[in-house]
Amino acid sequence: MLDISDLVTAYGKIDALKGVSLQVETGKITCLLGPNGAGKTTLMMTIAGLLHPRRGSIRLAGTELVGLSPARIVAHGIALVPENRLVFPQMSVRENLLAGAYQRNDKVGIDADLERMYARFPRLKERNEQLAGTLSGGEQQMLAVARALMSRPRVLLMDEPSLGLAPLIVAEIFNIVHELNRDGTTIFLVEQNAHMALQVAHRFLLMEQGRITFKGMPGQLAEAEVIQRAYLGTRRAVG
Amino acid sequence: MDDHVIGVLSNIGVVSFVALSAYLLLLTGEISFGQQAFFAIGAYGAGVATALWGWPLAAALAWGAAIGGAVAMLVGMPTLRLHGLYFAVATLAFAEMVRILFELFRYQVSIDGELVGPNGGEGFRNIRYVFDHNIDAFQFLLLIYLLLAAALLGFVLLERSRLGVIFRMIGEDETLAGLQGISVVRHRVLAAGIAGSLAGIGGGLYAHLTTYVEPRIFDVMLGVHSLAYGLIGGLGTALGPLLGVVIDIGLLESIRALAGYRMIIFGGFVALLLIVRPRGLLDETTVHRLGRGWRQIFPWPRRPNLNRRGNNA
Amino acid sequence: MIDLIQNTIDGVMIGSSYGLLALGFTLIFGVMRRLDLAYGPSIMIGAYFGTILYLHYGAGPFAVAIAVVIGAAIAGIYVERLCFAPMKAGAAIASMVSSFAIWMQLEQAALLVLPRHTYPFPPLSTGAPLAFGPFLVRIDHLIMLVSTLGLTAVVHLTLHRTRFGLALRAIIGNPVAAHLVGIDVRRAVLVAFAGASSVGGAAGFLVLAVDQQVTPMFGMWATMKGLIAMMIGGLGSVPGAVVGGVLLGIVEAHSQWYFGPQIRDLVAYFLLFAFLVVRPRGLLGCPPDSVLPQKA
Repeated sequence: MLDISDLVTAYGKIDALKGVSLQVETGKITCLLGPNGAGKTTLMMTIAGLLHPRRGSIRLAGTELVGLSPARIVAHGIALVPENRLVFPQMSVRENLLAGAYQRNDKVGIDADLERMYARFPRLKERNEQLAGTLSGGEQQMLAVARALMSRPRVLLMDEPSLGLAPLIVAEIFNIVHELNRDGTTIFLVEQNAHMALQVAHRFLLMEQGRITFKGMPGQLAEAEVIQRAYLGTRRAVG
Repeated sequence: MDDHVIGVLSNIGVVSFVALSAYLLLLTGEISFGQQAFFAIGAYGAGVATALWGWPLAAALAWGAAIGGAVAMLVGMPTLRLHGLYFAVATLAFAEMVRILFELFRYQVSIDGELVGPNGGEGFRNIRYVFDHNIDAFQFLLLIYLLLAAALLGFVLLERSRLGVIFRMIGEDETLAGLQGISVVRHRVLAAGIAGSLAGIGGGLYAHLTTYVEPRIFDVMLGVHSLAYGLIGGLGTALGPLLGVVIDIGLLESIRALAGYRMIIFGGFVALLLIVRPRGLLDETTVHRLGRGWRQIFPWPRRPNLNRRGNNA
Repeated sequence: MIDLIQNTIDGVMIGSSYGLLALGFTLIFGVMRRLDLAYGPSIMIGAYFGTILYLHYGAGPFAVAIAVVIGAAIAGIYVERLCFAPMKAGAAIASMVSSFAIWMQLEQAALLVLPRHTYPFPPLSTGAPLAFGPFLVRIDHLIMLVSTLGLTAVVHLTLHRTRFGLALRAIIGNPVAAHLVGIDVRRAVLVAFAGASSVGGAAGFLVLAVDQQVTPMFGMWATMKGLIAMMIGGLGSVPGAVVGGVLLGIVEAHSQWYFGPQIRDLVAYFLLFAFLVVRPRGLLGCPPDSVLPQKA
């Protein structure tokens, strides 16, 4: 579904992504792990169109996304649940969800999807008219996910959904990820929490210092090694 | 030297002080639209000192700088918690208050049967020190540039000193600087004081250059201009604001034929320049590159060597 | 006592126009997070369109109002394209200084076209003031107040009941997230700028029609009044703009009555300074840390 090849994104003179290539398969959960500063968020922002790569291509079912504005990328079917949630703090839960459906004009469909979101995330229904800025971290995360889903994306990108959340909530989030995929959504997930991520992923990749250093399936690498490389990077030989 | 040229150069010199004043605050990360207030305080202060109290010029200029700096520190304190736009608007409000206060300020003394001194909106005439002491235009020009050179030397030393690094640290990230044990409060007030003094010296020089000041001169326009000079000339070096002043006032004189269109052209030029160079002509990157080139020819003077291993930076 | 109430009434009337000025200003700040110093001068360009229409074609107040609004909108778009759209995220000071440069440009352009010190503006009404007991209310003031309330309602409804308004509030709330939900932020900002300038133009027309003249100082005046009202009401707050404007109007009316025009201006700036030192968020705004992006 999503085919990225030789992506290079730079901040000034520093290359944050040094030629990244990967595929996200339709209908599966692909998970990207890696230490802080590896470039995971940079990759997500590049796919979403917030950053422009210096080189490389991002194809969604054959259509080239590089060079398009973020709005057009959403129109093609990508939705990003960003790091730190980024809800609209002064707008209500309901308005946040409607904002997610900004590009759609089928009122009936939007209303139906709203109901579906309330069914899947009952806590959001309770807090329907509440300002998003007053929600707890976990509730904001659910709101961010629901908001992204409102555009009926073909690929759902998630950047560190467990960041800053209590373990119980994290488990809930990953449950939701699992359910969404079971209902057909293709998911590309970036995570620090390797343990939880490996429970849901069909395929996973390791990114270190702007490069993909491992591609495979959970179980191919011992979980201990994955966790080590995800948090600390590969150990270099001493001497 | 042609009188006209002397006049233009003197103007450039005096305005440079206010530009440097705004620039110093920019280094500590704050935008000020209000340095013209201290320019005014220095002008009135020094003018009163020579014209009403009979002080010598040097003492008067020092006095102008001192009250400029003192008032700046005083107003720096309640505004400490403000940042960015909020601070900028506060400086603007303060400067306008100062200007209006000078519109109401009357302090006149009878000297040789004549009333001398600030007279509210009518201004402060007869600051005649240079005439009474036979200082010609060229000599005054030298004085202006002597003091300006001293100020620039001060900036050069500042860049290479620990204080300069502290200022820039506060400019980058105040919280982080505080966590390193730096007293942000003291340094911001200090910076405000130095900046106020700089503007104050400029004001004192201005008053004696033109022999007449009125409150209307010290308006928002002057304040925003002072800030703009740094943005145009470049924020990487103290020469930046000077370059900005030269471009503006120098341009004014050279395109005399287009006098009526000066601001239209200059305004457009500045807007376009800022699109491609948002930190001015001599921005930090350019200065760094120029510095590298210079150091290959002249290995001295060196910046502080922060690399303890002994590797030359 | 009568003076007190009369002054308060006058203050509310004038203050409503300040509020409208502040409204445009605060909308621009909300979507850009930057100060547009060319705001007042943009309105002045519109005003000069209006006065030309009045002088040379004898147009009535309604036509002049439309000319002012359109002129202000065009000038606003010019400023947005030149000073804000091309700037990268971290260049906040550059935008402000650029808008200042364009302020100077617009002022000089206006002076070249209309070099005299003052130009006439059509009056809103020529009737005698209405009397409510011992208090007098000018009809044109009343028109100004009603127009302000009406326009504020229009802005409010646009923001809260239209799709475009939702997009604007999203951009004001979180610009990055606005991109992510598929809003064309650049286009929305351009339209918002034009809209905000139009609101400013309407405010400008009302003030000038009450004054029955426009002078070259108007640009600076409008920027300052709008700025003070906006800050005391609260940066980025729509109701704050109106409340701030009314408060400013009342304070000014009383100051002028007892102490004259200079003290009036002094008090206005002092009010602003005092608010900033004691309560920078203003009456109805959000705390500064949540409003501003990182430093320039």
